[in-house]
Amino acid sequence: MPTQEPRTRFTAVAQLLHWIIATLIVTQFALAWTARDLPLGTHKLALLAWHKSFGMTVLMLAIIRVVWRRANPPPELPAGMTPFERTLARATHIAFYALLFAMPVTGWLMSSAKNYSVSWFGLFTWPDLIAQNKTAFEALKTTHDYLSGVLLVIAVFHILAALKHHFWNKDDVLLRMLPFTKSKRGS
Amino acid sequence: MRRAAISLAMLCMASAASVGRAASPVQSYTADPPASRLDFIGIQAGAEFKGTFRKFTAAIDFSPDALASSHFDVQIDLNSLDTMDDDRDTTMRGPDIFDIAHFPASHYVTRSFTKTPAGYSAAGTLSLHGVTKEVPIDFVFVSTPGGAKLEGTAKLNRLEFGVGQGDWKSTESVKDVVKVAFSLILKPKA
Repeated sequence: MPTQEPRTRFTAVAQLLHWIIATLIVTQFALAWTARDLPLGTHKLALLAWHKSFGMTVLMLAIIRVVWRRANPPPELPAGMTPFERTLARATHIAFYALLFAMPVTGWLMSSAKNYSVSWFGLFTWPDLIAQNKTAFEALKTTHDYLSGVLLVIAVFHILAALKHHFWNKDDVLLRMLPFTKSKRGS
Repeated sequence: MRRAAISLAMLCMASAASVGRAASPVQSYTADPPASRLDFIGIQAGAEFKGTFRKFTAAIDFSPDALASSHFDVQIDLNSLDTMDDDRDTTMRGPDIFDIAHFPASHYVTRSFTKTPAGYSAAGTLSLHGVTKEVPIDFVFVSTPGGAKLEGTAKLNRLEFGVGQGDWKSTESVKDVVKVAFSLILKPKA
């Protein structure tokens, strides 16, 4: 539709995917940190079962999100942003998308390597990606842990940046991702 | 004359039958350890996981023609379990699961055999964790040039044997049913 005005807000679907995935990621950190220090027992296995099911959910939603984003490009960044700020914002978002895939996939590989196949809420079992291998498991665990640290750092940065746009620049960067709000013209 | 011919014929048949029996007595085999596998498959958090017993002995007396005198006797060293994860192996050897300090071995003995459409079925008892219970097995038996191959499966409920104490009594994380699968390469007993 060539006559359509440029989009100023994220679509409802994009907003929904953003907030569901954000909630799942917070839940993932809570589950992982709780399970980490527990001895191997039914409680730990139950927490990790949720962690894996949610992680695979994130992976599936990430695929939908990328497809949706290609078909429905996000609104332009505010005109007042410097080239450096634009690069930083772009780099953060690319890193987020990379992690939305890398976190579940390294987790899935870890589970395969340790002979703890991934079930999705007990409904079906994902195939193992690699054969059981202790060395591979240790390397994958280190990678998964390291990437979770990177994810945490950029998530904090992302939140602070959104708040800075809202309260300091007073533009619509935060509002256009918030459901039930109206975007003021922030450019 | 005619009666004598019949008698002779019957005698021949009888001796042929006895020769037939003598030609296929029950053959004694042992499982060749490195080539044979004894696996168990549990369901943890909704997903199957496979473990194996690295050490076991199987004395297999079997002949398809002599089911009545066939007999299996399998001894399993529970300490040899391997699920490809040290944490899980240690937990399973511990007091709440196999408790190998008190019950280091498991023992399976057959009582009788029946022919099934797919192969054979054995009735027998499994002793595990101080409990002895009926566990039937289904298997196929194939003669090979160097001996025979015995492949089969069984299903048991771990809680009937008290395998799973404390939290592990719950079937939320680990299901009650455990499958057993074996593939034995049999060598004739010397």
